[in-house]
Amino acid sequence: MEKKKLDELVITNKDLAFQKQEKKDRAAELAIANKKLLFQNEEKKKRVKENKELEAISNSVKQGSQYARSLIEASLDPLVTISPEGKITDVNEASVKVTGVPRLQLIGTDFSDYFTEPEKAREGYKQVFEKEFVSDYPLTIHHKNGKLTDVLYNASVYKDEKGNVLGVFAAARDVTTQKQVSQYARSLIEASLDPLVTISPEGKIMDVNEASVKVTGVPRLQLIGTDFSNYFTEPEKAREGYKQVFEKEFVSDYPLTIHHKNGTLTDVLYNASVYKDEKGNVLGVFAAARDVTAKKAEELSIANKELILQNKEKEKQAAVLEIANKELKFQNEEKEKRAAELIIANKELAFQNEEKENRAAELVIANKELLFQNEEKENRAAELIIANKELAFQNKEKEKRAEELVFANRELKQAEDDIRKLNDELEHKVIERTAQLESVNKELGSFSYSVSHDLRAPIRAINGYSKILVEDYGKKFDADGKKVLHSIMHNSKKMGDLIDDLLAFSKLGRKEVSVSDINMTNLVKLVREELIFDEGENLPVFTIKLLPAAKGDQSLIKQVWINLISNAIKYSKYKPITNIEIGAYEKANLVVYFVKDEGAGFDMQYYDKLFGVFQRLHSQEEFEGTGIGLAIVQKIVHRHGGTVWAESTLNEGTCFYFSLPALTN
Amino acid sequence: MNYDEVEILLVEDSIDDATLTIRALTKSGFTNKLFHVKDGAEALDFIYCKGLYAVRKSKEYPKMILLDLKMPKVTGMEVLEKIKSDQHLKSIPVVILTSSKEDPDVKKCYALGANSYIVKPVDSDNFFSAIKEIGLYWMILSEPPH
Repeated sequence: MEKKKLDELVITNKDLAFQKQEKKDRAAELAIANKKLLFQNEEKKKRVKENKELEAISNSVKQGSQYARSLIEASLDPLVTISPEGKITDVNEASVKVTGVPRLQLIGTDFSDYFTEPEKAREGYKQVFEKEFVSDYPLTIHHKNGKLTDVLYNASVYKDEKGNVLGVFAAARDVTTQKQVSQYARSLIEASLDPLVTISPEGKIMDVNEASVKVTGVPRLQLIGTDFSNYFTEPEKAREGYKQVFEKEFVSDYPLTIHHKNGTLTDVLYNASVYKDEKGNVLGVFAAARDVTAKKAEELSIANKELILQNKEKEKQAAVLEIANKELKFQNEEKEKRAAELIIANKELAFQNEEKENRAAELVIANKELLFQNEEKENRAAELIIANKELAFQNKEKEKRAEELVFANRELKQAEDDIRKLNDELEHKVIERTAQLESVNKELGSFSYSVSHDLRAPIRAINGYSKILVEDYGKKFDADGKKVLHSIMHNSKKMGDLIDDLLAFSKLGRKEVSVSDINMTNLVKLVREELIFDEGENLPVFTIKLLPAAKGDQSLIKQVWINLISNAIKYSKYKPITNIEIGAYEKANLVVYFVKDEGAGFDMQYYDKLFGVFQRLHSQEEFEGTGIGLAIVQKIVHRHGGTVWAESTLNEGTCFYFSLPALTN
Repeated sequence: MNYDEVEILLVEDSIDDATLTIRALTKSGFTNKLFHVKDGAEALDFIYCKGLYAVRKSKEYPKMILLDLKMPKVTGMEVLEKIKSDQHLKSIPVVILTSSKEDPDVKKCYALGANSYIVKPVDSDNFFSAIKEIGLYWMILSEPPH
């Protein structure tokens, strides 16, 4: 109880020392934390400065981007950037004008929404993503007030630094003017009195003028799409004619007869030439027929003149058109250059934006860190306050504990005194008990002595006097009387043996075992030599095998051999020959010895009685004995740390085994 | 009996043991010259010619003493000690008669100078042969030093 309190106090003292150390550590930590904070504040100031610088850079980036923007806005062509998903990401003012939709409303909507053919618009920008570039893609923009604007789109993908496609940049060129030019050409065609026709490479009529309608009697729309050769008396010749045009690019005065649906025939001479697109691909045949009916010869020559004039006019117009085309081409080139510049400007812009974002992100992180550090500082300050309070509390506790300690020390001294007293008492008791034990042992010794001495004396007397009776007065006894006398002698002898054995057995428990190395071969030889045999007894035939040495008390182990060998001889007395085999084997750190006979044996079901004191498995008449020999064997072997056991078959023999510690090399 | 002709002094308190011992010796041929005293005190009186035995000539000592250990008054051990510490007596062979080999005094007896000891066996045959052997040995074979 006292001891426990002391232990607690010792622990408390240790706690206090530990807490003091903790306090010191905490103070040191706080000093370090304060230095850190100072440093962080300076860092913060630096960061603010850097931030300002960054803002300046950001502004310059913004200016750069504004410049690019103004370039875009300056363009009269509707310019638009489209995301990979087809959403408008930006437009210029021209786009707003052509659609009638404000810029912010346009951004984010689907690009295709603003065309008369949305499907075609989608197809257009899909091509851009596939080929990275598309030029002169025709579409019609749909103004929200219903106005339509024909445009040709030039578009290209734009990418980030890493080559990832960010979207499409598309520039539309208003071709309404061009269309007007084409309408003008059309009116010229319509103005011609000659049937004029355009034919596809497949020979289908693509367009006709009013003169063609008149000469065939078929409405224009019915004519378009039908086979050119259908309207001639010799369709084969007609086909031959336009084939020649495709081959030679030009045919003049090719004679054919047009077949009016009312049956009127008109002889004509065809002048025809192929027409091509900008790239020189043949789109079809332009054919003009001159009526050569005889009565109209004069008209014809006038008409020819007119035609020549018209051709000239046409050539002029063509020249105009060529100039217009050149202009257009130049404009397209300019547009492309602008687009390329814009792509570069956009890339620059994207890069600058990214930089700006990176800087901004860094600033955000720096700010967060600063915030976190400030929080940490506050936390530390709060912790310091708590720690100081705790320290104050601990100091108080310490004082309390010190008081307790003084008190406990007093108690401890008291406890120590008590313990000393108890120890003294205990020692005294031990001495007392030892003395008691010694006296009990002595008593036991003297008891054994009395038993052997005082019990033996009367028995000796009975035996001795009986013998005197037999010797001196034998003649006076009849046979029965002599038998009684012999019984008295026999029993008194047995009583003596019992006393001797019992004493020997009880002595074993008290005797000290003095262990030494035993030469077992010599010991067994000695036991054999000391054997005493009765008259008429079979002399045993020994088979003795190699017996390893063991550790033990020589005199006690000798007794073991004596008892086992005597038993083997005794229980073989009814057999014609006494065979005894003695041997040994080693197992682990033990040597197992055995004594094997071919005697009476015993029933193994009584095995548990074999080693009991005064336990016998045979009658006294069969085999004499006190029933203590094997008990002694077991006691001796056990005292050596060994074991003893037996195997037996009734009427065939027994084998006794005992183990002893082997010699350690 | 002429005390001075006593050759064997038997010191034995048990009449039965004495009877049997005497019989054994008689049967072995030691028919006379044996004197039996009942305890240690009487033994000392006999040896030192005191008391009842004051008439005895002090110079004539028995040739052998058979000494029982456990006796009343003066024990066999005390008698042995006296004899063996006496210059005139210590050469007399003293054979200790003991009832048990467990007797703790046996070792002490040897230390004091006992010449031999016999465990009185229960079996009379063995008892007789043992007495006979000891008698023969000390009385006939070993010449006492004079």
